Amino acid sequence: MVKIFIDEKPLEVEEGTTVLNAAEQAGIDIPHLCYHSAFLPEGNCRMCLVEIEGLPKLELACSTQVREGMKISTKSEKVIEARKGVLEFLLAEHPLDCPICDKAGECKLQDYYEEYGLFESQFEESKEKREKRLKIGKNLILDQERCILCTRCVRFLRDVTRTHELGVFNRGISSEIHIYEGLSVENNYSGNLAEICPVGAITDSDFRFKTRKWFLKKEESICPLCSRGCNIYIEYHPGFPRFSVPKRVYRVKSRENQEVNGFWICDLGRYGYSYIDEGRLNQIVENVNHPLSELNLEKILLFISEKLKRLYHMKKTSHIALILNTWLSNEELFLINKIFRIDLNVEKIFFVDPPEGEKDDFLLTSERTPNKRGAEEIGFDFKPLDLETLGNGTQFLMAFGPHLSHHFSLTEIKPVFDKIETKLLFTSFSNEMNALFDIVFPTALIAEKEGSLTNLEGKVQKFSQALMPLGESQPEWKIMVDLAKKLEVNFNFYRQFSSPEIIFQEMGKEITFFEKRK
Amino acid sequence: MEEKLLTRHFDLKNLYKIEVYLKEVGYQAVKRALKEMKPEEILEEVKNANLRGRGGAGFPAGVKWGFVPQDVDKPKYLCVNADEGEPGTFKDRYIMSHNPHLMIEGIIITCFCVGIHTAFIYIRGEYEAIALRLEQAISEAYKKGFLGKNILETGFDLDVFVHRGAGAYICGEETGLLESLEGKRGHPRLKPPFPASIGLFQCPTVINNVETISNIPQIILNGAEWFLKKGLPKDGGTRIFGVSGVVKNPGIYELPLGTNLKDIIFKYAGGMKEGKKLKAVFPGGMSAPILKADEINIKMDFDSLVEAESMLGSAAIIVIDEETSMLDVLKVVTRFYSHESCGQCTPCRIGNSWINKIIKRIAAGGGKRGDIDNIIRLASNMMGKTLCPLGDAAAMPILSITKKFRKEIESYTAN
Repeated sequence: MVKIFIDEKPLEVEEGTTVLNAAEQAGIDIPHLCYHSAFLPEGNCRMCLVEIEGLPKLELACSTQVREGMKISTKSEKVIEARKGVLEFLLAEHPLDCPICDKAGECKLQDYYEEYGLFESQFEESKEKREKRLKIGKNLILDQERCILCTRCVRFLRDVTRTHELGVFNRGISSEIHIYEGLSVENNYSGNLAEICPVGAITDSDFRFKTRKWFLKKEESICPLCSRGCNIYIEYHPGFPRFSVPKRVYRVKSRENQEVNGFWICDLGRYGYSYIDEGRLNQIVENVNHPLSELNLEKILLFISEKLKRLYHMKKTSHIALILNTWLSNEELFLINKIFRIDLNVEKIFFVDPPEGEKDDFLLTSERTPNKRGAEEIGFDFKPLDLETLGNGTQFLMAFGPHLSHHFSLTEIKPVFDKIETKLLFTSFSNEMNALFDIVFPTALIAEKEGSLTNLEGKVQKFSQALMPLGESQPEWKIMVDLAKKLEVNFNFYRQFSSPEIIFQEMGKEITFFEKRK
Repeated sequence: MEEKLLTRHFDLKNLYKIEVYLKEVGYQAVKRALKEMKPEEILEEVKNANLRGRGGAGFPAGVKWGFVPQDVDKPKYLCVNADEGEPGTFKDRYIMSHNPHLMIEGIIITCFCVGIHTAFIYIRGEYEAIALRLEQAISEAYKKGFLGKNILETGFDLDVFVHRGAGAYICGEETGLLESLEGKRGHPRLKPPFPASIGLFQCPTVINNVETISNIPQIILNGAEWFLKKGLPKDGGTRIFGVSGVVKNPGIYELPLGTNLKDIIFKYAGGMKEGKKLKAVFPGGMSAPILKADEINIKMDFDSLVEAESMLGSAAIIVIDEETSMLDVLKVVTRFYSHESCGQCTPCRIGNSWINKIIKRIAAGGGKRGDIDNIIRLASNMMGKTLCPLGDAAAMPILSITKKFRKEIESYTAN
């Protein structure tokens, strides 16, 4: 450990720490544009200059390592003047088009001007003219005039994807980021460029001109589109959608987690969010006339519990079948396991998930099963659906998820389903298979509920609720708790579960795997 | 006439051919260094000679060599900086074209001293004929057994390569040079790490200027004490001053360090051209703060010029006469740095361009009150805040000209 002083505040940091990181640890913000902790310091923006006692010149906070007794000043007059000077240079050639720039509200240049600039422009010359809307990739638009040449994009494509599509072209004031001839940023991580660009130079055409950053709220979530479990933010419009399109989610961004996804997410996870607002089921569908009029969850659960209780008392639980999937959270799978496998001795349990897809050698896995590891740790054998076994004597089927159609055709599945007396489906989507069930109940998506998922490496990660469940949708954990209470086995045990967090605590007590991950 | 060390034999016909060089001078220093001296002894001698870098920064060569770690299992490299891009500077080209073997001797001794087996001469692209001459000289040296395997049967191996730059001023900055040599854009690197520990291809690297390297054979043959006597106690040897501008005899003059600038201009270079009056002098290349006519009674060595708030730089003396407008000088200066800024860091990329735009506006008759103050402010915001010394190199002449000739420049801004 090395003892240093930042703005007279004594601090102990590890040897080899840079001044910028040390200041961060002390809660002192040193402005920087080119520095990004994913890359080695580049030192080109010159925003992070600080004063170090005994040194004649200002030094870079991003690349200077601390030394014992070092006295650093981040707020001296010299430092503030230098920052202003750098900002003035950057803004001189910048188009200052914040009102029509998608980065406005989350632009570091804008923020730093507010914080350290606030001067009148003294630039009376004509600005350099450059490309304003260069399409550099499937979703990426480059505005060279807004670019401050921090080269984060070049370094990302050099060090992370190693695909080298962008480079710095020309020299001096003519320097600009450009794409190499005949290339396009088509790698599966391209969307990260718009995210690491500190200004509005690289914008994402999926987000461009759709909304303003300050209308959005964000919530921490986990990407469910493969088994990696990348940490993400879901950014959404709170309240009603502002456009005729019933769209709530406007963007998915990466959330740093060095143990899982570093700073990045893949384009599948970033751009694959449209499922949250499209093709959704938002009300109960009744395909077979039931004696129960005007269905609601209460009546449906009463109906299910009566059926289950009867089968249980007649010792006919072998006639019960379940179709699950790994989009269910640890907490939901835990409850289903308790109720059906342990309390009711149901054995016919299948998993129907999306089929495997493409993978890359970085984050994206071929499995599209966000909680397969969780299901295994809870105790499920991971059996795919076998229609013959399902058809053999099943009288009562409870299915979850929209994935049947990925594996079976309607004609294949219909004869088997016709033999089953009672069939219920809990799904978030409208789907042709929904017609096979007597009752279809809408469920909440991961973005609409709380819980946790276990990724392929066994990391248990919580996600929080960004959106309200759509229409009559309910999260599965709640449905299960209510059902369990109606079954009247262990009523007092299930009664306590008023939130996924409480279920998780119980899981930790019962399953060693989850104990240390509480 | 003062004794010449580097340019002594320049008058000999065909000196660049190894037969002539061997007959007249003859690789004596290499023989002595490799056969009679230990690397530590050479290092000690060079350190004692106070040989300061002739490229511009004036860093002691021996100290620089001493920074190279000896206990690494990576190769070590020597890069001879022959990019000679500082405006007004034309000394290295004379050494390389007239006496290439002197430099090659210096290279061999340096490499033997530091334990280097590969050396590169990074020469500016415009010096095509000189590059060819160097190639020729190197191949002669290989044939005579001064380069290649087992040099002079001492077991020491050395290969030397000539690499031509593509004409960027920034590639004369040592880390820009390394990047360029590695085949990348000539963007300077952050320091530390310094090239002595992590340089070319991430290996320990010595980078010396042509003139610096060419002084090594003298030091080996005559010793440090002798070398110090040829210059100053803290600044050994001679300097090749390149005088250009409005003087009677422009050209190179090899003189002891500490020679008076006034004498160089009026005694050695023959004084001002007929009918011209001295106005200002750049004493060490265009990057050095300018001196007014009444400031030239000054000793030309590193420390004296620092004291006068200028610098010796590459010892290129540019003489400006009364008829030359200082606004024109500023226009040339700012156009050059704006064009040659590599564009990597903010203050140099935008500052130089901005100042150049203002100067162009003033020259076109659009000058405004406040322009001069703005230029001074912008140049001060570059000074000391850029990634490499190019920012300072640009700010220094701009600041000195605008401050020392403020009245004259202001006269162009008043409509």
